[in-house]
Amino acid sequence: MQPDGFHEVEETVRGVLRDVLGIDAARAATFDQATPLFGALPELDSMAVAGVLTELEDRLGIVIEDDEVDGDMLDTFGALTTFAASKALT
Amino acid sequence: MLRLGPDTGPVVIAALPLFEEANRTRAFAIAVLRALAQRGIAGALPDLPGQGESLLPTHETSLALLQAGLAAAAASLPGPVFTFAIRSGALLDGAAALAGRYHLSPMTGADLRRELVRARQASARESGEPFDAAAMDTAAGPIELAGNLIAPQLLRELSDAAPVVDGARIVRLQTEAKPADAKLDGSPLWRRAEPDNDLAFAARVAVDIVSWIATCAG
Repeated sequence: MQPDGFHEVEETVRGVLRDVLGIDAARAATFDQATPLFGALPELDSMAVAGVLTELEDRLGIVIEDDEVDGDMLDTFGALTTFAASKALT
Repeated sequence: MLRLGPDTGPVVIAALPLFEEANRTRAFAIAVLRALAQRGIAGALPDLPGQGESLLPTHETSLALLQAGLAAAAASLPGPVFTFAIRSGALLDGAAALAGRYHLSPMTGADLRRELVRARQASARESGEPFDAAAMDTAAGPIELAGNLIAPQLLRELSDAAPVVDGARIVRLQTEAKPADAKLDGSPLWRRAEPDNDLAFAARVAVDIVSWIATCAG
């Protein structure tokens, strides 16, 4: 079961990737839970990761501690959305 | 100093964010000033000490110098002067004599430090060279953060720097969670690795500035 508001968080994550990485809307719309991110999207280098995390904080009103950032949460679109939802919906 | 629009009446002086975000927002700021000029309001874009074409090396500038530079640029302009500050540019207009401050997605110095450190740590992970954020405030010389050489004094000044809210209109993106006087549709150009522009967003900001200046005059 996904918590209430999961879909909104998912769309927020999609919007952040689109706006920070400069990915066009049609391509971002195809992202699903299994879409690989870090290592698969050339736009998402380590500097861009910092921008994505900070923009997620701004949009969701959350704080991400540096020790929470690991490779797994950036593996797939689904993993990043699940992480963001765990911060935003609790 | 880049000048646009009429020689008389109110003048809007732009304050770009510090460091890399200045490059990412310069074209957008000029688009806003151009849209203001089309609506009969003059605009100016100064190069502050250590920014743009300034002769001062970037790593020798300080918050006090940047604020004094903006204050001097504002004082050189005729007519009532309003700032249009983007992001950390909102930290720079505190020393200027102004008729009003328009802050687009303003941030505190502490937020900026956090973003710089986060970007630096991301590149440290990639290169395998460790980075100790605590060493930032005790360093004897300039520190490289996110591609910029920054003086330790500027980093220390940023720790407790916050935008002046007196006479300020705070405007944010529709997508931002923080409160604001108004929220506008647009994209966070300051995040883009490849500089981009958003002319429709620039026009929305210009329209909002024009109506805000009209209320300040009344």
